[in-house]
Amino acid sequence: MWQEIKFFDDALPPSPPLPEPVRGACGAWAEFRGYVRAAENGAAIHGLRYEIYPAMAEKRLTAHFQELAARYPVQAVRFWHRTGLVKVGEAAVYAAIASPHRKEAFAALAELMDRLKTDVPIWKAEAIPA
Amino acid sequence: MKILYFAHVAKALGRREDDLEVAEPLTTDALWERLLALRPALAQYRATLHLARNNDYARPGDTFANSDIVALLPPVSGG
Repeated sequence: MWQEIKFFDDALPPSPPLPEPVRGACGAWAEFRGYVRAAENGAAIHGLRYEIYPAMAEKRLTAHFQELAARYPVQAVRFWHRTGLVKVGEAAVYAAIASPHRKEAFAALAELMDRLKTDVPIWKAEAIPA
Repeated sequence: MKILYFAHVAKALGRREDDLEVAEPLTTDALWERLLALRPALAQYRATLHLARNNDYARPGDTFANSDIVALLPPVSGG
């Protein structure tokens, strides 16, 4: 399985195309981009400050990718996350999964985002008031 | 061993890491005893923190040695 994990201090780049190694094999490349909303816990915010423990986050994400690949025909995963201040309206996370067909790609991507919130050491460390 | 703090815990302590010298490997309870002696403010967070040892979540029965990197992990909230 092809995989890429990257953490960014600045804005996430535009979505790249399907990774070259799986072109031809995968008909689905499901993508998700999560944005910072204008309110956090009912209060207006300027942005969220994210913090990541990179070495362990990579290890946990890789374990989740492997578990997903055992359940779905996942052939490629790309995962990006911002660290530091992410302003309202900016993307904090980008995740994408390739598989031969769309149904499995959507399911695996949804499960990946659920798993992200269970044990991957990434935090909304601080909400910056508006 | 190196102790790492994150998010609101790092902010509350005003630091991101500590070095802790131990004479022999510590159990989880013994490690917490040393951590609370070093940083009493950790007491209010203890119930919510998970311990990680060398980038893996610690398991019951694990011990913590001088060469280990120990992370005190608040509940995660990525995405």
